[in-house]
Amino acid sequence: MRFHLIDRVDELEANRHVVARKVTSHREDYWRELGRGMEMPAHLVLESLCQAGTWLVVTSTERRLRAALLSIDSVVFGDPVRPGDVLTLTGSVETISEEIAVLSGTASVEGKIVLEAQSIMCALIAADQLDSPDETERMQHQLAGHLPVLRDAGKQAIGAGGVR
Amino acid sequence: MTQLDRVESLVEGERATAVRHVPHTLQVFESHFPRFPVLPGVMIIEDLVEVANLVLGDGPWRLAGASRVRYRHFVRPGDVLRLDVDVTSRSAGTATCTATAKVDGRTVTTVRTLSLHRVETGEFL
Repeated sequence: MRFHLIDRVDELEANRHVVARKVTSHREDYWRELGRGMEMPAHLVLESLCQAGTWLVVTSTERRLRAALLSIDSVVFGDPVRPGDVLTLTGSVETISEEIAVLSGTASVEGKIVLEAQSIMCALIAADQLDSPDETERMQHQLAGHLPVLRDAGKQAIGAGGVR
Repeated sequence: MTQLDRVESLVEGERATAVRHVPHTLQVFESHFPRFPVLPGVMIIEDLVEVANLVLGDGPWRLAGASRVRYRHFVRPGDVLRLDVDVTSRSAGTATCTATAKVDGRTVTTVRTLSLHRVETGEFL
């Protein structure tokens, strides 16, 4: 399985918040049967939210930095995610600097929360140490290229200091 | 279901230690990350849940939540992950564990509380 669990960024305000989606499909290969029907493994629902946070960091820093998981204060899982569900991933920044970002957020399906996480702390790492800048740029445009207005708003936020 | 490579010790209902190898052939390394392959932290949580299932038995047990998860070092291709899980409480349908993952004796991940719910037959169907 390709470990990219975000399919589109729907809203993004640099250094502040992100809303992204993960569309699930029967054709994917991670589905698991635990005795209550096919479901997405809980750790992958959590990873989806973390990756929404990563693209917030990537976009907020004009692709200089991306996030690596350091800690999670708490996470609670609700109802299972089924094949065909659309995960809506909402992340809000608590703090962000050049080294560290802390986000909290939820994953929901049709308005019902399936995961709630408090204080996901990430180390911010030079993006070009992890992946090629061309690939990061290509992915960013694929995910968030339809958000020109919000990208502009993000640049203003970065220009005004960026860190909140 | 298990992706663990070896069970080193198992005291049913109390604790277990299992090992998972991290070979470079894992598909996840193609995209996480090409220039610096690391095992995604959430996959260590998944491994610890698998060990918890071994310890608790009478499952399956699903991950209901976790608190105070700490990642201290990257897990990289070639590493041997040693996964320790201790049950701290258990009732009919819920359990909590504390868990640690180590590589070469060095702690890479700690989970203060891993909360699990036993899947009831027909649940959510």
